[in-house]
Amino acid sequence: MGAGLKRFARNRMALLGACVILIVVALTIMAPFLFPAGAFALVGPALQPPSARFWLGTDALGRDVAAGVAEGARTSLLIGMSAAMGAVVLGAVIGGLAGYCRGAVDIVLMRITEFFQTIPAFLLAMLLVVILSPSVLSVIIAITAVSWPGIARLVRGEFVALGGREFILASAGLGASGPRLVFVHLLPNCLSSIIAVGSLLVATAILLETGLAFLGLGDPNVMSWGLQISAGRVSLRAAWWVCTFPGIAILLTVLSINLVGDGLNEALNPRLRER
Amino acid sequence: MTESMRPSRRALLSSAVLATVGPAQAQAPARAPVRGGTMVMIVNPEPSTLATYAVSAGNIPPVTTQIYEGLLTYDWEIRPQPMLAKSWTVSEDGKTITFQLQEGVTFHNGQPFTSADVQYSFMEIAKKVNPNGPVILAELQSVDTPDPMTAVFNLANPAPYLMVSLSANNIPIVCKSVFEGTQPLQNPSANRPVGTGPFKFGEWNRGQFIRLDRNERYWKPGLPLLNRIIARFIPDAATRSAALETGEAHYAAYSAVNAADIRRMQANPILGSTTQGYGTTAATSVLEFNMRRPNLAKKEVRQAICYAIDRQFIVDNILHGFGKPATGPLSSVFTTQGFYTDQVRRFDVPDRLEIANRLMDEAGFPRGANGVRMSLFLEINSFGEQWLRQGEYLKQALGQIGINLTLRSEDTATWLRRCYTDYDFDINEPFYSAGADPVVGVHRHYVSSAIRRGTTFVNNKDYRSPDVDRLMDAATREIVPARRAELYHEAQRIMVEDSPGAWLCEVQYVTIFNKKLQNHTNRPLGTYSAFDRAWLER
Repeated sequence: MGAGLKRFARNRMALLGACVILIVVALTIMAPFLFPAGAFALVGPALQPPSARFWLGTDALGRDVAAGVAEGARTSLLIGMSAAMGAVVLGAVIGGLAGYCRGAVDIVLMRITEFFQTIPAFLLAMLLVVILSPSVLSVIIAITAVSWPGIARLVRGEFVALGGREFILASAGLGASGPRLVFVHLLPNCLSSIIAVGSLLVATAILLETGLAFLGLGDPNVMSWGLQISAGRVSLRAAWWVCTFPGIAILLTVLSINLVGDGLNEALNPRLRER
Repeated sequence: MTESMRPSRRALLSSAVLATVGPAQAQAPARAPVRGGTMVMIVNPEPSTLATYAVSAGNIPPVTTQIYEGLLTYDWEIRPQPMLAKSWTVSEDGKTITFQLQEGVTFHNGQPFTSADVQYSFMEIAKKVNPNGPVILAELQSVDTPDPMTAVFNLANPAPYLMVSLSANNIPIVCKSVFEGTQPLQNPSANRPVGTGPFKFGEWNRGQFIRLDRNERYWKPGLPLLNRIIARFIPDAATRSAALETGEAHYAAYSAVNAADIRRMQANPILGSTTQGYGTTAATSVLEFNMRRPNLAKKEVRQAICYAIDRQFIVDNILHGFGKPATGPLSSVFTTQGFYTDQVRRFDVPDRLEIANRLMDEAGFPRGANGVRMSLFLEINSFGEQWLRQGEYLKQALGQIGINLTLRSEDTATWLRRCYTDYDFDINEPFYSAGADPVVGVHRHYVSSAIRRGTTFVNNKDYRSPDVDRLMDAATREIVPARRAELYHEAQRIMVEDSPGAWLCEVQYVTIFNKKLQNHTNRPLGTYSAFDRAWLER
C-alpha cells in the first residue's frame, strides 16, 4: 500500500485532483462558520452580481450563491460517497456470491445484474425517487440501485479469475473454510480494482444527484448544486452567476474525482505498475 | 320588476367606446381593418381533447371558442352582451329567463341553429357531462322551446351567477343532430368540433398545430377578418419566446411565455403586451391549513402564519412582478361587480412579525431552546417550479416566527391524494381560478357542504363556519347585486378573521402579441373568446 501511495504521488494530475477534493471537503466543514444563516436564508436583494459582500452574487430570491455552493458541496459529497459506498458493498456481495458459488447461483445473479444494466440508469433513478418521494435517503437508495451492477460484474470476474489460481486451490485443499477463502484470500486480492472503480462511482453518483435535483427530484429541504442550477436557469440571460458557479463546482469536483480515480487505478493495478 | 336587457343602440355605442379606450387598443391606429391573413397563436400545453363541453382544462377554450359560441358574451364590466341570444328577459322572481335567439345562424355542417340546440346543449350535454354543470346549472330544471327562436329557462331558485356563466368557454352551444343518440365523450365531433363560430375546424396535426379556417357563412356580416388561425404547440418555453421574437407567432396568452422573459419581450419593438382579457379567469395562490391538526386548529396560529408572509416579496421575486398581494378569499377582479372588499383584517401591517410572534405566544407555543415553536410540513404544489421557490421562501418566512417548515414534494397523483383524500397534510399551496362568479370558483373552498373526501380542490381544510355557510347560501340566491355584495363583504371579513387559509397573490397573466395583430383583445374573456374582429396588418 505504501508503494502504491508513492506511485500515486508521482501522478501530478491525480495529486492536483486530490488537492481540489481536499478543498471541497474543507469547504463543507467550514460552511456553517462561513455562512451561519444557511444557504436558504434570504440575505440580500435578489439577483445581485458578484460583489465584496456576496462573492458569487445572489439568486432570484436573494439567497447567497456562495452559501449554496458551500452547502451544495456537502450534499454532493454526502450523497456521492454514501451511494458509491452502498453500490460497492451491494455489488461486492452479489458479485462475490456469484463468483464464489458459480453454477446456478452465478447464472441467476448475473442475469439479475444484466437486467439492471440494460435499464437506462438515470430513468430508473428518477422512477425510484418519485416512488420513494424525494429525500436524501431516497436519492442515495436510487443512485445505489443503479450503480451496483458494474461493481458486481467486476468482483465476479476477479473471483472467477482468482478461483483457479494455485494459492486458492492450495488453501482450499488445506481445508480453509469458505469465509476464510473469501475474506482472507479472494477479497484482498481484488481490493485495488474495487477501490479504483469505486472512486469513479463517486463522480457518477454526484452527477446523478445533480441531475435529479435539477429536475426537481432532490430533497427540497437540502441545498444542492443541481437545485441551484435549476432555480437559476430561468434567469440565465439576466443573471449568469446563479447557474455558472454551481456548474463550475460540479465540473471541478467530478473532474478531480476522476483524476484521483485514474491515479488510484494506476497506482494499485499490478498490471500497470511497470509503466 | 321585469328587467329587460335588450341592449339599446346607446348601450352598444358605449361599450364600443369602452373597448376603444382600453389600453390594449390604445396603440391601434385608425387604419381600416384588412381582410385575410393567417394568425399564429401559441397554445400551451397542447390540449389532450377538444371536447370543451365535457372537459374544463384551461388550454382547450383558446381553440374551441373560435368554433363554438355561447348564448352570451360579456363587456368589460362583466355585463351580459348578446351572442347567440340576441335579447333576454329575466322574470321578477328571477326563476324564469327567456332568451330570443339570433336568426339566420347555421352550424358548420349546414344545420340551422334553433332553440332545440339550446335545450339539448343545456339539458343533455352541460347538465350531464360538463364538470361545472352541477354548480352553474344546479337550479336549472328545464328549457322550454315555445318556438324555434325562443328558449325559456325554468329555475328552481334564482341563480344570479348563471347570467355570467353563459359564454362559449363555460357552456358551448352544440348541434343537437350531431350528438343525438351518441355518447357525448365518444362523439366523433369531440375532436372535430362543429359549432356556429367564426372559424371552422380544419385539421389537427398532433404535436404540431390545429388549423382553423374562416367560416364563410358566419352570421355576423363581414366577419371574421382573418382567413385562418393556426394554434401552434411548442413544448419548450425558450422556443416559444423565440417564435414570438422572430414574428413566427403572433399571439401568446396565459403562461405561455416565461415570466422571466416577459420584460425582455416588452422591450422588443415588434411586440406588445397586455394584461387585459383575464377578467373572468383571475387566479390566486393560497395556502390551505388542515384544521384537523391540533396546532392548526388554533386560530392564533393560522393568523400568525398569515402575518409572517411578505406577499409583496412573493410578487416581486417569484412572480417577477406580475401579480399583486391578495387580501382575502375573493379576488380583486370582483371589484367590478362590487363583491370584493379590502376592509378585512390586514396582514400587511408594518409590525406584522411582532404581532405574529405574540399570537404564537398567546396560542401556547413558546420558543424552545433552538428557537423553534413547532414543526409543520408544506406540501409542494407539483404544477411547476415556481411553487418550489414559493415553498423555499415560506420556509424562511415561517422560520421567523419559530415554525420549522419541512418541504415535501411528491408527484401530482400522490400530492392530490394526500391533500384531498387522505387529509394527511399540514399546509398545502394550491392555486385557484376565481371563475366569473364567486359561486363558480370560490364557494367550494370554504362552505362546509364542500368537505367532500376524494374530490380535488374543494374544502379540504375542514373549515366549518355556520356564518360563512349561511352568507354564501344566501348569496347564491340573492338577485339584487347590492345586497349580494353586502353578503360577500361580510363573508370575507369572517373568513379573513378565521384564516382557514392564507391568501397570497393574485397572479397577473400577460398576453404577448405581435403589433401587426390588431383588435385581438376586445372582451374581458381575452383568449377565451373568438378572434372574429382580429386582423393582421400587411
